This record gives sequence, C-alpha cells and structure tokens, in this order.
Amino acid sequence: MKNDSAASEVLTAGIENVPADVPTKKKFALPKGNSKWFFGTSGKTTFIGAAIVLLVICFLDSFTPVKVIPAYAKHILVSCLIYAILALGLNFVSGYIGQTSLGHAAFFGIGAYGTAVLMKYAGIDFWLTIPIAACIAALAALPLVASALRVKGSFLVVITYGFGEVLRYVAINTDSLGGSSGIPGIKAPTIFGMKMSKIGPTGKEGYLILCFLIVALLAFFMNRIEKSRTGYAFAAIREDEIAAVAMGIHTKYYKILAFVISAFICSIAGSIQVAYSSFVSPELLTSTQSILILTMVIVGGRRSIKGAILGAGLMTILPEILHSIKDAIGLPFDPWYILYGLILVIVMRVRPQGFWGNASDA
Amino acid sequence: MDFVQQVINGLAQGGIYSLIAIGWTTVFGIVGVMNWTHGEVYMLGAFAGYFLCTMGMPFIPALLLSMLIGSGIAIAIDEFGYKPLRKKRKMAVAGFITALGLSTFLRYGANAAFTPNPRAYPDVIDYQLIPILTVDGKTLTISSIHLTILAGTMLLMVLLELFIRRTITGKAMLAASQDMQTLGLMGANSEVLIKVTFAISGALGAAAGVFVGTIYAINPMMGELAGLKGWAVAILGGIGSITGSLIGGLILGVAENLTAGFISTGYKDAIGFIIMIAVLLIKPTGLLGFKFDEKV
Repeated sequence: MKNDSAASEVLTAGIENVPADVPTKKKFALPKGNSKWFFGTSGKTTFIGAAIVLLVICFLDSFTPVKVIPAYAKHILVSCLIYAILALGLNFVSGYIGQTSLGHAAFFGIGAYGTAVLMKYAGIDFWLTIPIAACIAALAALPLVASALRVKGSFLVVITYGFGEVLRYVAINTDSLGGSSGIPGIKAPTIFGMKMSKIGPTGKEGYLILCFLIVALLAFFMNRIEKSRTGYAFAAIREDEIAAVAMGIHTKYYKILAFVISAFICSIAGSIQVAYSSFVSPELLTSTQSILILTMVIVGGRRSIKGAILGAGLMTILPEILHSIKDAIGLPFDPWYILYGLILVIVMRVRPQGFWGNASDA
Repeated sequence: MDFVQQVINGLAQGGIYSLIAIGWTTVFGIVGVMNWTHGEVYMLGAFAGYFLCTMGMPFIPALLLSMLIGSGIAIAIDEFGYKPLRKKRKMAVAGFITALGLSTFLRYGANAAFTPNPRAYPDVIDYQLIPILTVDGKTLTISSIHLTILAGTMLLMVLLELFIRRTITGKAMLAASQDMQTLGLMGANSEVLIKVTFAISGALGAAAGVFVGTIYAINPMMGELAGLKGWAVAILGGIGSITGSLIGGLILGVAENLTAGFISTGYKDAIGFIIMIAVLLIKPTGLLGFKFDEKV
C-alpha cells in the first residue's frame, strides 16, 4: 500500500514536472476553438475583429461628408464573400473527402434559379426560398453522388463537369427559365421591414453583413466538424478508402453527406447572388465558374478554412486589378486568364498544397 | 431514310471525337495524368493547319506538318508542365491543376495572339455529294469531305494499332500502361516512352483539329468543349482501349447528329455527357474497358 501511494506520488509529480513543450495527454483531447487564425488569434478574436472592420467599411460613409470607400470596392467585397461561401462549400468535397469536382457551379446555379423562380412565379419570400432552393440542390446532388460512389478521381471530374454542362443547357433551352438571357427583375428582399438595398449608404451593406455572417457561421461549423466523428470519418476516407471500410466506417453514408452538405451550401451562395444582382443568367453555370471555385480551394489550400476564404478573395480581387490595368494600358485582350493559367502552374510547382494548406496534402 | 442520312452525317464528327479520345486515353493510360491541355493541342493543331493551308500548302502535307507541330506542342507541355511535378512525385492533384492552368494559359494566349474571330479553312478538299444508294426515290449521300475525314481517321487508327502491336516501342507502351515501375526495372527508358506517348497524343489531336477545320470554322475557344467530349468518349469507350475510343466516338457523333436533327439543336452538346453518365452508372469501366484492380 505504502509503495503504491509512493508510486502514485511519483507519477503525479512526474506529470506536474513535464516541461511545457512535451505533449501531455491533454493535448490529444478535443481542442476548443484553438485553431490559429490570423497572427495566432483565436477564432473568436478573429470574428470580432473582422466584424468591426466590416462594420467600419460599411457605415464609415454615413458619418463622413465625402465618400471614402467607393461603391465598386464594396461590390467586389460582396463578390469575394459570395465566392468564399462557394469555396467553403466545395471544401467538403474537394477538401474533406478529397474528390475533385468541376460541377459546383451547377449547385450555385440551382440556388440562383430556384430563388429566382420561386420569388418571381410563386411569390414566396426570399428568406424562405433559400432553404427550399438549397433542398432542391441537395436532391439534385444525388445523381452526382450515385456516380461518386462508383467512380472517383479523373472519372468523377468529367462526370461533375458533364453534370454542370447539362444543367447549363437545360437553363439555356428552357423558355420559362428565360433562355440564354435569364430571368431579370428579381425584387430585393426585405429584412425587419427594411429593403436590403436600402440599408447603408450604397445599398450593398446589407448583403455584406449577410454574407459575412454566413461565412463566419460556416467557418465555425467547419472548424467543429473537422474535430468531430464525421470529420475523422472524412479524413479516413480521404487518406485510404479501403482502410476506412476495414475500420468499419460507412463510406457511402459519409460521401453522400459530404456532397449533400456541399450542394446545400453552394446553393445558399446562389440565392444571395440572385438577390444581390437582381437577375439570374446561365452565365452562373459555366464550367469557367466551376473551375474558378475549385482553384480558389486549391490555391488557398485544401481543407484550410482560412485558405478557402483568402483564396476566394485573392481570385476575385486579382482579375479586377488586371481589368483596370488593361483599361489603363488599352490592351486589346484581357490579360487575366493568361495570367490565371500561369498562376495555377506556378503555385502547383512552388507550393502544391496551396498557400495556407497542410504540407502533408500535396 | 432521314434517320440513316443523319447517322451517316454523324460518322465524320464521330471519327474526329475518336481521334481526340485516343490522345486522352494513351496519355492517361501511361502517364496517369488527366491531360486537360489536350483540347488546346487540338485547337493549336487546327490553327497550324489553317495557316499552312492559307499559305497554299496542299492538304496532305499540311496535315502531316500540323501533326508534327501538335507533337512538338504536346512534348513541350510535358517537359515544362508535368515533368517537374513527376520528378517531385506530386502528380495527383497538382498534375491536374497544372493541366487546368496550362490549358487556360494556352487557350487565352491563343485568343490574344489569333484574335477570337472565327476563321474558315480555304477549300482544301473539293466538296461534292457522293450518292451511296437510292431507295424509293430518295438517295443517301455522303459528302467528299466527310468521306476524307472518315478515311483519314481509320487510316490513322490502323497505323497506331500497328505501331503498338508490331514495334518494340509500342509494346513497351502497352507494358507501361500496366506497370511503369517494373518496366523501368527491365531497362526501358520511361522518360523517352512518356515523350513518345505525348508525341502520339499531340499528333492525333492536331490531326483531329485539321479535320474539323475542313468542316467548321475554327476559333481559339474550340478546344474547351471538344477536348472534354474527347475525354467523355474515352471514358465511354473504356480507358486504354483504342477500339473502345473508336466505337465511343462514333456513338457520340451519331447521337449528337440525331439529337440535333430530331430533338433540339440546343441539347446537341449535352447529349454526350448524358450518355457518358448513364453508361458509367451502369458499367463504370466503360463499354470495352477493363477493371483497374485496386491493390490494398
């Protein structure tokens, strides 16, 4: 007995004297929001900081006599945030279960067309159309999932691409969807009795805040899912599917889950896009759009929440800068796409895991 | 009768798809990369043929020279794009994204260099309708251009099949598609084999481009959809099977023509992907493909 208590004393003493850099058992417990964001800040600090910056950007002009922030900059910021939602959504498929999808513009488009049709023809309120359209998108993902369960990798790429293209042709060739010119004149939604387009000095502030909240919510949600049972199942499927099956993971269930969540999120982005730009056209469904979303995820870093958001910002702001350079010099062609191709090649050569990605992902 | 006529009209387009598909399937089978730039090689081949033909070169030499140029471009793409990644063993996702980037770069580079305006080849082949047979007063015809394309496609495929079956390089390629590493241990130079593969893929892609130029106007954006349809055909026919690519291509060409003729021209480009998805759902290996066994 004496011996035992002495031993336990030694043990506890040992634990107390462990130097800080040696991982103790506590480190393997579920971490509580300890993911490092910008300059080592916690998620909460980042959220509050970003929210303050956003509110300043939004309402600075209400208090100053001259316009400081041009409406164009706010427009680009809204695009950045909408693409950030898309990139986070695609992250479920391309990041978590490691399948490349070139068809996510389809879900974006389903959300956009769903909202447009429901608002215009059925007169449903905008806020209700978001979940309805998202459920339609999730259902539409099922044929894609059915093929994702059978094939993967390069074969799945062309299936997703084909899926997007087929939906684009449907949108172009259906008269009630407005054909190739799309559906114009979607009314701006109202919130708390206020029109979204009437909030703030330029009318883009309401959308900025809405998108920001959704991005923040998604970031939180994904941060938690990574450390959950589902997140570990995704990781197991990504690393080695056969081993995952052997460990008793229901791979089919988790693959379907990843695709459906992904479609759902991308559809929300589409609904907001439609309310924001007040029209919808088949342009939203092009393969260029899908490729752009994919490159945001890849360049930012797969599975990195920060990477997806910053990648979306980078790939939205860069073309705008190049457009202005093009107008300034008077080039007869748009240099963005040429440079875009080169950026992809160089990033893959220098940092195959993306800017903010995990080195083990390369 | 109309139906049969539409089928005949679709055959030439189908042959072109088959040529593109073989370019995809050889590179995928041996290097294992989804060579997204293949559509751009096809587009550049078409432009090479256009410039050679407008300079007054006869069709056959222009075709051969364009194929040579296409090979050169494909080899250059491998040298500058894929080889550094292959050395670092980071082909999986990085290779695919590199291909996407290179393809965007080439497409819009060509757009800047050649302007986006569509261009038509000069009359390199005499156009005439050749009657095949007459039933009930209606005559089935095939145009001389379609016939030339079909014959050219078949000839190229027979030559490729002979190359693969009869020459030592071709046999090495077949072996490489099964196990590149073991082949390297047997003393084959895998780098040379990969370059040969890209050369063949580029030549066939360029040939398809020149053929299509004799029917339709060409522009720098033509490679995007045609390239992807080629990959769809390659999957439809079964990866690694040349006969499969031929059958898949002909099916797609005919199906597109029938869709345009009897359903709606708007869905012409979508039908290929619909067929492909349907076939993959029923038979994931494609029509004539074999199963890649996954090793644990």
